Amino acid sequence: MSSYFRKNYVLLITLSVIAALFVAAAQGMEKKDFVITLLRGLSVGSLTFLVASGFSLIFGLLDVLNLAHGTLFMIGAYIGWTVFVRPDTFVDLLTPLALILSGFALGDVYPLLATRIRLGLSVKRILPWALVLVSILIFGFILPRYPISIWDVENYGQSPVTYSFMADQGTRLLAPVAAFTEISAPLALIGLLLASIIGAFGLSLFNSVTQQQFKLNWKNYAGFAILLLVALLTFIFNESLTASLTGLSSNWLFVIAVLVATLSGAGLGALIESTLIRPLYIRPIYQLMLTLGMSAIGIEIVRAIWGRPEFVMPKPVFFNGSGGVCPATNFADWWANNCSTILLLDGRVRVYNEIFIPIVGLVVLISIWMLLQRTRLGMVIRAGVQDREMVEALGINVRRVFTMVFALGVGLAALGGILAAPSMGLSNAMGESLFLNALIALAIGGLTNYPGAALGSVLVGLIQQFIIKYGQIGIAIPFTDIIFKPTPPLVPASTVLLMVIILLILPNGLLGKKE
Amino acid sequence: MEYILDVQNIHTFIGQYHILQGVDVRVPKGSITALLGRNGAGKTTTLKSIIGLTPPREGKVIYEGKEVQDMRSFDIASKGIGFVPEHRAIFRDLTVEENLKIAERVKGDYLRKKEFIFDLFPDLKRLMALSGTALSGGQQQMLAIARALVADNHLLLIDEPSEGLAPVIIEHMMKAIRLLSKDSTIVLVEQNFLVASQLAEYYVIIEEGRSVQAGSMKDLANDKAAIHRYLGAA
Ligand SMILES: Nc1ncnc2c1ncn2[C@@H]1O[C@H](COP(=O)(O)OP(=O)(O)O)[C@@H](O)[C@H]1O
Ligand SMILES: [Mg+2]
Repeated sequence: MSSYFRKNYVLLITLSVIAALFVAAAQGMEKKDFVITLLRGLSVGSLTFLVASGFSLIFGLLDVLNLAHGTLFMIGAYIGWTVFVRPDTFVDLLTPLALILSGFALGDVYPLLATRIRLGLSVKRILPWALVLVSILIFGFILPRYPISIWDVENYGQSPVTYSFMADQGTRLLAPVAAFTEISAPLALIGLLLASIIGAFGLSLFNSVTQQQFKLNWKNYAGFAILLLVALLTFIFNESLTASLTGLSSNWLFVIAVLVATLSGAGLGALIESTLIRPLYIRPIYQLMLTLGMSAIGIEIVRAIWGRPEFVMPKPVFFNGSGGVCPATNFADWWANNCSTILLLDGRVRVYNEIFIPIVGLVVLISIWMLLQRTRLGMVIRAGVQDREMVEALGINVRRVFTMVFALGVGLAALGGILAAPSMGLSNAMGESLFLNALIALAIGGLTNYPGAALGSVLVGLIQQFIIKYGQIGIAIPFTDIIFKPTPPLVPASTVLLMVIILLILPNGLLGKKE
Repeated sequence: MEYILDVQNIHTFIGQYHILQGVDVRVPKGSITALLGRNGAGKTTTLKSIIGLTPPREGKVIYEGKEVQDMRSFDIASKGIGFVPEHRAIFRDLTVEENLKIAERVKGDYLRKKEFIFDLFPDLKRLMALSGTALSGGQQQMLAIARALVADNHLLLIDEPSEGLAPVIIEHMMKAIRLLSKDSTIVLVEQNFLVASQLAEYYVIIEEGRSVQAGSMKDLANDKAAIHRYLGAA
């Protein structure tokens, strides 16, 4: 025990100082304010953690500072919103997306194909470029003509703002079904499939490293077959699928939105790592600039597709009740009426924001912890954070693990985004403040330390919320009549101050390892 | 003679530095072959070039009859090469047991090899639950070698196993390496000429990134001039 104390005294002292600060904070405000502020802190902390943990996993293993992480958080929110508010658009997108991806699912086949075709050297050099160009041309021809029922940003009656407003009122407005008019359906479908295969084959030719030769079996075609099937089924059953999604309760739709946002985030992450980040591992500075650029481009893309205005996402009905007994005072009342708020120690607590989000945060915290500690993938990640070369020399395809971790990290950010959407609302900037929070949290907790990311996130969330609360009620300075009210700019300043203090005492953060 | 590994005239660059400028290493199957040479001669880089961590820009690495120089490290390793690096590279955040399990290439490797490893290094058995950091230098070296034994490797690349170890432990390590050479071929980088000459049958001397002399260890032991010139030892 005493040796434990000696080893960790700085950490223990720091933690007790922080605990003391919170006790003092609790003394200065009413109990109900304290409870609410605490829960809000945990809520912000949870969202921060979803961004911070993914960022930290990626940085730890890949050494990539993914500056686009906040933007990907925001994109997760917008994707989830689309599924939730415009299921018809979501269904329309499935067919072309599955087709576009299908060619890439044949990744293992191309190297073999490449060895089969014998060409002159100069043709060989031009071929990849030519294929990619052809693919882009076909995509460029078909995609703008492919009918997708989407909103019209310019037209107020059909803008995302209006749709979100209507959804908030409980009605789901759908645009008329888009039909194939500018291009025939078979041409569009077959064209997309071909363009995808041609493009993926072309891209694979750029990769000159010889792959291990192996026999192809059905597994190498499974992904392709599944995607084709998805494309076909979603094409044939487009309308009935849309109808059944629209008919779902908002609870189920929300679950689907969360899943789709998270998985799209993961897919996007895998795509970004394997195409953009991978060629730049030998040039870390370019990589940094690339992620910064992606961040800016991501925001522009979101602006172009969803428009500039900010809009809301309604909470699923499970968290949105407001009957006679609401706010609920006990669990049974809440369960029966799905009250949006409950009374906890006289404080009015919003169930979704202040209870549901922290619970999801906790579940994610534990799940990822189990993944890291109990699975082979987790073992490889922990080992790879320290020494990638050694892991590779053991015969493990570290590059594949890189892609998985990037996908996981971005998936977590996207999950954070869609979870935050009903409580924060959507805006192009929603990722920025959380990303900043996450960076501060990681500096406090330890840059590549998983429990540290959780601890830092919670601390940042709590401090911010307490400062905000004191901004409303003021702090009575002892022995004087002065009541000090922290102003809003003090909110970010306070967390930065905490970060500076902790980094002065512990340069590697609270739980960071000494290098 | 049958060669399990045939390195032909490799040139390796690290950044813009031309580190290996023509290295040939032929390793007869079942032998222990020592790479000798002064500090900074390029021995470690040669091992890393074989396993693809610093892939050679020119030349060939032929392992079990196949050219592997253009393959990725994990592919090369998967063909049956175990790597025991210079500074052991024990994974700190993993327990001793996990340090072994991570080396599995086929599920169940670890369970199959466990007994063999414990027979070789009985000390490891009681350390299994400890974290990689808690080990002494000798224990780390044992673990690093043990880790290369978990998968079915036919060739072991061992870099300076005696570095920084006490004489008693070096004895123990030599015994283990000798035992291992019954089943696998070993390429050994060793600064300690006494250790190398007792273990290895063949040698290759590397000097300033070039292989300059090779042959059987017995001949080298009598070649005082070469020893003095290339190894600086008496
Ligand atoms: N990362 C690196 N950057 C630049 N030079 C290096 C690097 N690694 C090794 N070298 C140089 O390559 C040469 C060979 O190194 P090495 O193979 O480690 O030698 P040895 O193992 O024989 O002591 C040395 O001169 C060393 O300075
Ligand atoms: Mg060396």
